[in-house]
Amino acid sequence: MSERQLNRIRGREVGTIFQDPMSSLDPVMRIADQMVPPIMRHLQMNQETARAEAIGWLDRVGIPDAGRRIDAYPFEMSGGMRQRVMIAMALSCRPKLLIADEPTTALDVTIQAQIVELLRELTVETGAAMIFITHDLGLVARFAHKVGVMYAGKLVEFGPVKDIFAHPCHPYTQSLLDTIPPVNQPERRKLTQIPGFPPDMKLPLVGCAFKDRCAAAHEHCFKDTPELSARGPGHRAACFLPEGLGEARHSDAETIPPMVRNSDDRVVVEVFNLHKHFVGRSLTPWRKPPTVRAVNGISLNIREGETLGIVGESGCGKSTVARLLLGLDPVTSGDIYVDGMAQMVFQDPSSSFNPKMTLFDIIQEPLVVTGWGNRAARAERVNELLSQVGLDESYAQRYPSQLSGGQKQRVAIARALAIKPSVVVADEPTSALDVSVRAQIINLMVDLKRQLRVSFVFISHDLLTVSYISDKIAVMYLGEVVEYGPADEIFRHPSHPYTQALIAAVPVPDPVAEEARVKNPLSGELPSPLNLPPGCAFASRCPKATDYCRAEKPILQAYSGTREAACHYAN
Amino acid sequence: MTQEIVALPTRRPLDVSSLPIQGLLRLVSNSRVQLALAILMPIIFLTIFRSVLPLPGPLDTNLRAMMQPPSIEHLFGTDRMGRDLLSRTLAGVQISMFVGFAVAMLALAVGLVMGTLSGFFGGVVDRVTMAITDIFLAFPSLLLAIGLVSVMGTGMLPVVLAISLSDVPRFIRLQRSLVLTLRTRAYIDAARTVKASQFWLMTRHIVPNTIAPLLVAASIAAANAILVEAGLSFLGLGIMPPEPSLGNLIRDGQSYLEQAWWISTLPGVVILLIAIGLHFLSDGIRQVLDPRSRK
Ligand SMILES: Nc1ncnc2c1ncn2[C@@H]1O[C@H](COP(=O)(O)OP(=O)(O)O)[C@@H](O)[C@H]1O
Ligand code: SF4
Ligand code: SF4
Ligand SMILES: [Mg+2]
Repeated sequence: MSERQLNRIRGREVGTIFQDPMSSLDPVMRIADQMVPPIMRHLQMNQETARAEAIGWLDRVGIPDAGRRIDAYPFEMSGGMRQRVMIAMALSCRPKLLIADEPTTALDVTIQAQIVELLRELTVETGAAMIFITHDLGLVARFAHKVGVMYAGKLVEFGPVKDIFAHPCHPYTQSLLDTIPPVNQPERRKLTQIPGFPPDMKLPLVGCAFKDRCAAAHEHCFKDTPELSARGPGHRAACFLPEGLGEARHSDAETIPPMVRNSDDRVVVEVFNLHKHFVGRSLTPWRKPPTVRAVNGISLNIREGETLGIVGESGCGKSTVARLLLGLDPVTSGDIYVDGMAQMVFQDPSSSFNPKMTLFDIIQEPLVVTGWGNRAARAERVNELLSQVGLDESYAQRYPSQLSGGQKQRVAIARALAIKPSVVVADEPTSALDVSVRAQIINLMVDLKRQLRVSFVFISHDLLTVSYISDKIAVMYLGEVVEYGPADEIFRHPSHPYTQALIAAVPVPDPVAEEARVKNPLSGELPSPLNLPPGCAFASRCPKATDYCRAEKPILQAYSGTREAACHYAN
Repeated sequence: MTQEIVALPTRRPLDVSSLPIQGLLRLVSNSRVQLALAILMPIIFLTIFRSVLPLPGPLDTNLRAMMQPPSIEHLFGTDRMGRDLLSRTLAGVQISMFVGFAVAMLALAVGLVMGTLSGFFGGVVDRVTMAITDIFLAFPSLLLAIGLVSVMGTGMLPVVLAISLSDVPRFIRLQRSLVLTLRTRAYIDAARTVKASQFWLMTRHIVPNTIAPLLVAASIAAANAILVEAGLSFLGLGIMPPEPSLGNLIRDGQSYLEQAWWISTLPGVVILLIAIGLHFLSDGIRQVLDPRSRK
């Protein structure tokens, strides 16, 4: 097919939505100039009707004030808004097929829930089919009808969504499902890890592509390549074994004994009424400079060996709290008490390490700076740390660029543990990792916290992971803690409307459960922290908001004995 | 410990900054760099080994062989005092190379120190440094060099100082911007959590990561300095005769263009070749280092 024939199909027959709307929207063109011409071309409309049509679509995807916003530039919109524009563009030419490639990966859960709901409604309404490409199995469960699982460039399993989730037949699908922290667990089990890496696609492949990472691999797998074969009505899998891993699937998932907690465990971190305001530059000297109230009165405490999870949408101040805890930024007001040292694991593994230093120098740096031991003692300590995080001693002489993302996070953890800190603050440590690697890092942290009795602060926007790893959760909204208490309790019975909305937005990898859930995603986006409303900060998006909420600010107070919530109508 | 050892990925990403040899290999495999080397290597080679070549010294006059056109005996001919022009041209190239190297090192050293301090500490130091560099950067570098030489006088040392001084602001700027981006890296924060000193941060984390880009800038500055020196000497402000330099050789021959074309033309051709070679070299370096220009 020539490029021109392809172009006719693109747009008219097939619409596409990509992960990063900024790379597919032209940053120097107004939305109108990008949307109207394709509509004119594909639907043979004149300028005026095409523009009206475009505004109609923008309105339909939930862009407020679409008639005016159509003349905006992409950079004037938030990530969620841009993704909506992409969807409007993709659907405006009425394609028969919509291809969405990780359309919500860069977005917050609440915005993701909105976008996914929108996509579902629109495809039903227009009758378009959709191919939804994602690594998030929860999303698949939420709204796909059929699922294809790909591995190393090939489809390894294909079938109706309920079959795939209830009876996965390919070992890869089975392991993938077990890498996700389960929602309702009477006892916590370790997550399944998929060892190794996908095969190098440059080399010729003999046998099954998954053989090196498959627990059920046998002789046959090394000689022949399995083809897709029937497993049920419409359900096919490419594996020699009809049941895949079969009985062996859960055998290695050891249970995690619940943490024994004594009320007299010492408190290692205590935060009282913490504030952090970023004061901008005022444009004119007589005006008050704009102030971002990133953290607005937070009180927390962490005991020895305890893990505190902090969740909330991006921009709510999680990273700021982390930096304050570590003493990287000065506080505006409030008290922080840390018994011992606090150390950090960062989100982005690529900028966490000096590229010029070997792993040995990287891990021993905190020891050198604090003047710990002599060189021989430090070398011994580095080796001990490497083995604690599951890396071979030979890694000490490697450079960061020679490691995968998961290995880098292991090194980051080793460095953080070097000086035996009392608390390790991990800011989104798994967000940049693949699902299978994510499970490895989570398991590692769960092991370490039990063995070393070190406290963790685990910051993430991924509620499922936070509730799996944490003993205690603090839910943040616009620089404040709105709910604070034991992890399972909050996850099972959230009392604050925001926590309820957050949990409702998390897709769970179970199509049956997903069908039963009520889905009314939280509307709107996080308001600007520049000018906070006088009453409840959540009032603009809260389904239960009343005039009283808008006037009177709720304070964090005891709720049901074990936890605290900041809402006039918590239940 | 129950964690299994995770294997190394088969595909190792290439990181030029941590592996100098691979960076060098990639540089040499660039076609522009190869072209540049093809032009420059013979000239450099001849210059280095000019003392063992069967040539008269650059200052040796020979009154029996004045203004001779190129011949087997004198490949580039001779000037009005019978000095061998090939010998003088090569001596000029040697001076050019020295000027290029000295300027690059001097500008790099000063830029490194001032740029690091300015970027790392910010505040008043930064604002004063930036104001001064802004003033310097407002003038074209040749013009600035001319101005400075006319104050400091002619000769090798003033020329080197003048050209370096006009390059220093560029290096300060570059180093400062490198420091500013590096300062926000997470590994700096990681070191700060154990209360590492400013000196530790600068010497361990910041400066080592600025060396590679600074060297690239230095190679470009060296190329530029060679041409500026030729320009200054041509104007009679740089290296003074009888000491040969490519610029003053051309100037010398100017008045004899009709009787003895070779005196100006042949050193001119050498400068042209050097200029083309250096242009391809810096172009190639930029291509290799800037991923956006790579196809
Ligand atoms: N250095 C800074 N200067 C000004 N504003 C900042 C700075 N750091 C963070 N902020 C603002 O503070 C708010 C909270 O940011 P952050 O803590 O990074 O949120 P999160 O980690 O939850 O996504 C955001 O509105 C952000 O724009
Ligand atoms: S064919 Fe063999 S190696 Fe491949 S998935 Fe099935 S059991 Fe595993
Ligand atoms: S106080 Fe009112 S607005 Fe705020 S969360 Fe509770 S119900 Fe909603
Ligand atoms: Mg953050």
